[in-house]
Amino acid sequence: MYYDDKKKKKKGTIGIVAKSLKENWLIFKEEKIGIIGLALIIFFLIFGLLLPAYEHAMGPEEYNPLVGMDLDLNRNPVTGTFSHPPSKAHPLGTDFKGSDLLAQLMNGSQMAFLVGIVVALSSVAIGTVVGLVSGYYGGSLIDSLLMRISEIILSLPLLPLVIVVAAVLGRLSIWGLVFVLAILLWPNTAKIIRSQTLSLRERPYVESARVAGASGFRIMFRHLAPNVLPLSIVYMTLNVTSAILIEASVSFLGFGDPTKVSWGMMLQWCKTQGHLFKALWWMLPPGGCIGLLCMAFYFVGTAMMPIINPSLRKR
Amino acid sequence: MADKMLEVKELKMYFQTKKGYVKAIDGVNFDVLKGETTGFVGESGCGKTSIGLTLLRILPDNAEIRGGEVLFKGGDLLGDDINEYVDLLKLSDTDARKIKWKGISMVFQAAMNALNPVYKVGDQIVEAIKFHEPDVTKEESRERVAKLFELVGMDPERMENYPHEFSGGMRQRAVIAMALSTHPKMIIMDEPTTALDVIVQDQIMNEIKKIQERLKMTMIYVSHDISVIAEVSKRMAVMYAGRIVEYADAVSVFKHPLHPYTKGLMASFPSIRGELKRLEGIPGEPPNLVDPPTGCRFHPRCPYAREICKKKEPKYREISTNHWVACHAEAGGV
Amino acid sequence: MNLIEIKDLSKFFPVSRKIFARKSYVHAVDEVSLGIKKGEVFGLVGESGCGKTTTGKLLVRLMDPTGGAILFDGKNVSGLKGKKLMNFRKHVQMIFQDPYESLNPRFTVHGSVKEPLDIQRIGDREEREERIDSALREVGLTPPEAYYGRFPHELSGGQRQRLSIARAMVTNPDFIVADEPTSMLDVSIRAGIMNLMLKLRKELSLTCLFVTHDLAAARYMCDKIAVMYLGKLVEIAETEELIGSPLHPYTRALLSAVPVPDPTFERKRIKITGHVSTPIDPKEECRFLPRCPCSRDVCKERQPDLKEVRAGHWVACHFPER
Repeated sequence: MYYDDKKKKKKGTIGIVAKSLKENWLIFKEEKIGIIGLALIIFFLIFGLLLPAYEHAMGPEEYNPLVGMDLDLNRNPVTGTFSHPPSKAHPLGTDFKGSDLLAQLMNGSQMAFLVGIVVALSSVAIGTVVGLVSGYYGGSLIDSLLMRISEIILSLPLLPLVIVVAAVLGRLSIWGLVFVLAILLWPNTAKIIRSQTLSLRERPYVESARVAGASGFRIMFRHLAPNVLPLSIVYMTLNVTSAILIEASVSFLGFGDPTKVSWGMMLQWCKTQGHLFKALWWMLPPGGCIGLLCMAFYFVGTAMMPIINPSLRKR
Repeated sequence: MADKMLEVKELKMYFQTKKGYVKAIDGVNFDVLKGETTGFVGESGCGKTSIGLTLLRILPDNAEIRGGEVLFKGGDLLGDDINEYVDLLKLSDTDARKIKWKGISMVFQAAMNALNPVYKVGDQIVEAIKFHEPDVTKEESRERVAKLFELVGMDPERMENYPHEFSGGMRQRAVIAMALSTHPKMIIMDEPTTALDVIVQDQIMNEIKKIQERLKMTMIYVSHDISVIAEVSKRMAVMYAGRIVEYADAVSVFKHPLHPYTKGLMASFPSIRGELKRLEGIPGEPPNLVDPPTGCRFHPRCPYAREICKKKEPKYREISTNHWVACHAEAGGV
Repeated sequence: MNLIEIKDLSKFFPVSRKIFARKSYVHAVDEVSLGIKKGEVFGLVGESGCGKTTTGKLLVRLMDPTGGAILFDGKNVSGLKGKKLMNFRKHVQMIFQDPYESLNPRFTVHGSVKEPLDIQRIGDREEREERIDSALREVGLTPPEAYYGRFPHELSGGQRQRLSIARAMVTNPDFIVADEPTSMLDVSIRAGIMNLMLKLRKELSLTCLFVTHDLAAARYMCDKIAVMYLGKLVEIAETEELIGSPLHPYTRALLSAVPVPDPTFERKRIKITGHVSTPIDPKEECRFLPRCPCSRDVCKERQPDLKEVRAGHWVACHFPER
């Protein structure tokens, strides 16, 4: 063993990643909407992360997104509840029981990222592996099997199925939802990765690896995967939007996890309390955030297309 | 002195890229005599294809003409009774269009892939004729195409076939027929046989030679293969990194190559005939055209390089009758 | 004894026709037999579609043959699997045609040369580094340390091909199949690569199958040349014998079609007319028949066998002397 082995190895992988990151950043920069999307995502990320500081600054008991209530408030004669429009104490107003809406919105941001990223990562991870195996063994029994399973899953209607599952189980916790979504979303990635793998499989460098004696596993994960990964990442951003939207819809319809404050939940509470058009300060922000964040991820995904498809590049 | 069809003086054309200007053609001088084939030989990136594109003004958007004169004997095509020669670089777009195809036409590399798969081959050529000569009737066009097919060695009945029904060699012949369809004064062939097999390549080259003899066609033939250039050209230019390094009649270049690059090229081609000797090749790699070597661009690879070669660009001069070389050694003897 | 012996090697590819029609096959390689001696550079020439690349790939077991046998050092390797196949791969390697596509763009130079050693589990850490170092030196990529961290797109075509050669050589194989290794390189670089391969042959007693369509290059590189046409071998002879006295009409036509870098040389072209017969379900007749300038009745009835007409000179023609 050489003393600088670990150092050399680390530098190697990091060096490669850093270099390609820089190159890809330059390509990404060309599409202006990508920058907008990225800015929005960073904004919402920071927004969500600011919650503990905000809570602490304003009073942790009262400003807790789930159970906090501002006991100093009186009933609002207009709404009939403790829901008040924006004020100095509550920059976005309060909900029906006097909870601060800004805190809830920030919590929703955290939830959105959590659900979105976890679902995206897991569904893309599963989808990529399935796609690689299917593509590499294209035409064989295992390929047919995996593809048939994918098609069955793809034919299921997303939202109705989640609702049915929620209804059957009685209550669907947020992690239950994440699990179901990951299961339902991996096939679309798998199909794309599979077709990409099928074409890459014929490349001379794959033949070269086979002649050197590489096993299927090695070829799939050391030769094909790195070249397929950029495509996976793009699909990941699309899956994030699906996940966020589904969670919001499910929560809005009343099947969500009541112990978690998400934007969809906020809308659901607004609706069940009958404040949908009475308290616009309550109704508009959550919906607006859902729309903006999904749009942001979609923009980023679009701006990443030229990275994987060189013919789309500007110069 | 034979008639000059084309006279090129100090042509410069650069491509603008993110990394800077690629000096694709950097001061090129040559003549093309009427009824003769002038060959251009060089490796990838030497600029030989760019010359054809510049003459026909089909350069990509990032190309810039930086200087020079290209005098083409096409005054009559523009209805000009006074000036025999026109400068192709300075023509307006409308005038340039008149010169294209009737004056000069071009057969591109792997052009056989440029045929539209959904139209019959004959129809495509008829369309080309009608586009450039709207007065020609359809029957006349079809007759012309039939004659052209015979000229390139194909059965005229094949006019009715689609491109996918043709072999590679036949498609290339069809493209050559298309280039000849408007009776151009000069035709530029850019590696017309590179993508083809040996036997077909030989057949096509033979057809090209026969056509040239019959029609007394003026031709520029571009290739990386000196054997092909040797067989086809009367005069030839050897290009390296955007410049012509040697220019003379083909026999002189082969029998008495003067420029070290030409000598190196000759030593890189194995031959079927003759003595079997060791191929030396040329050490090093073709240069980066954004940042080419200073002075003589060939100096990093030249076995005869001296101090002056690194500093000063060699002048392009006529060493013996009609034999031009750009090399410091030639000025003072090797 | 021959290092490599091929006996009636065949590779047929199914062609999808209509569902209920009988299956058709492209006879890409059709009962090819030849032997390559240790230390020999054996040329396999022909035009595109003749089956030479497929033959090369069969020899390195990138594909499985449909019929026939491949013998390496006397042992049948056509059906090897698993560990035995892995062991075989240590001894037989391949150099590919396209220097731009045959290297994984995400592997560094060091990584590309290291991979075969890792797969074959050759030596320990230190020994592998030594081998990588000497492999790069052998192919002229010196100093090796300057190249280790670089990626293929940072190298020129010639350097990439040298890297491919280094990767193929690092396991010290006995036999290399080189599939058109210079056809995609600039002309002035080709000589360097060809000379490198000849040097490796001399220093390491390497045996090589040189697949190419460039007859001039084959003449420069090879001791013996075999000519293929539509999946069949039509002629085998020592290089100068083949070039000097070709006996098969196809070989003659092929040789006469090669342009010569001498403007004063009057080439005697042998005109070839007629169509190329189909490689799909070919009939029992000589494959070259439709284009042969001198065919007789028997050529329509039987495929000619490869016969030794002169010492070391084999031809598959009913009337080779013509």
